[in-house]
Amino acid sequence: MKIEILGTGCPKCRKLNELAEEAINELGVSAEIIKVTDINKIIDYGVMVTPALVIDGDVKVAGKIPEKKEIMVWIEEKK
Amino acid sequence: MLLDILNGGLLALKEYVALHVLTCLIPAFLLAGGIIAFTSRDTILKYLGAKAKNIISFPLAAISSIFIAVCSCTVIPVSAGIYRKGGAIAPAFILLWVAPASNLLAVIYTGNIIGYDMAVARIITAFVTAFVMGTVMYLSFRKEEAERMVEGEEGGNNDKKIIAGKDIILLLLILFSLLSPNYLITKGPYLHKVYVFAISISITFLYAYFVIKKDRISNWLKETWWFVKLIFPLLLMGVFIVGVIGKILPQQWIEHWLGGNSLLSSFLATLIGAVSYFATMTEAPFVDTLMKLGMGKGPALALLLSGPGMSLPNMLAIIKVFGPKKASVYIVTMISLATVSGWFWGNYIF
Repeated sequence: MKIEILGTGCPKCRKLNELAEEAINELGVSAEIIKVTDINKIIDYGVMVTPALVIDGDVKVAGKIPEKKEIMVWIEEKK
Repeated sequence: MLLDILNGGLLALKEYVALHVLTCLIPAFLLAGGIIAFTSRDTILKYLGAKAKNIISFPLAAISSIFIAVCSCTVIPVSAGIYRKGGAIAPAFILLWVAPASNLLAVIYTGNIIGYDMAVARIITAFVTAFVMGTVMYLSFRKEEAERMVEGEEGGNNDKKIIAGKDIILLLLILFSLLSPNYLITKGPYLHKVYVFAISISITFLYAYFVIKKDRISNWLKETWWFVKLIFPLLLMGVFIVGVIGKILPQQWIEHWLGGNSLLSSFLATLIGAVSYFATMTEAPFVDTLMKLGMGKGPALALLLSGPGMSLPNMLAIIKVFGPKKASVYIVTMISLATVSGWFWGNYIF
């Protein structure tokens, strides 16, 4: 599974990154977390308001930090 | 000597914390958090994208700027997004220019620290120059744009409302708590401001408690807390540095180069603003200090306009996203606009 964190390095993006890592560890799934910081690439996903979370190419949330529970549900759905 | 300098910094910090945190910063952060939590920026952007091709886009972009980038650090991805998703070049660059220059938090803060005439000047100038900026960008890149727009997609799918009516009232109440202590009570002891603030903020929270859903309130407070964590340390550091700078810089030097309202001093002030990095709102105490040391009102306005939106790292980011040609036209236009605005207000209006 590929989890991408879109954001230009803002504190909220780092927080989202932490939450995603925690979610993966708690679920025990193997997933790769990639930070996407290039603005042009972020926009290619159709995201304008960062931070955003992308799982296997699907934009799950943009513009706010989701709850860890929500992230876990999205990961479960993709498994 | 060194002790003296450090003392200057600490003194500035003390004065600042005593006078601004409760009645100015707390409601300002609550307002910023509220704007983020209650307005749908996606919807505003979609709307802007759809209307980007006609003349309405100019004022629309200028007005949306207030709500989109509460913190100037987020404006580059947003404006790049509008542009790359098929929006026209003018609204994208209007946003890039106006959002930091007329940022709601920073403008109110400017009013509280420097004076309301400066805050009004800042807003009016940002809006008027927005049209110049849009026109310049449009005319400079007309040909390129005509080719690019063919492939641009329509983005007018508005399923969500920008903001709900109940939330608007809450935002207005917060705005009232922010403005009332500082504008209703202009004389007398500071404690009077605190009383006014206590009353207005209590009304705000009572309204929120009875009218707004619990999870939305918690979302609002969470966003507010983010701003506090993000901006407050930067602001304190900024105020300290400003206090130190005020001690180091010789007054004659400032009077000579930044005093009066000549075109040159306005230009120099613009340059200082354009190259150095100001975290949101720190430009206000900086300008305030320089003004006490003899900076003219015109140059002060120029620095307030160019300071928050532009810095060397920001320039590099803009070059990377929009390409060197558009970035240089933008930067030159921005510096000219800020310089001329400072000179104009300084000589004819203030």
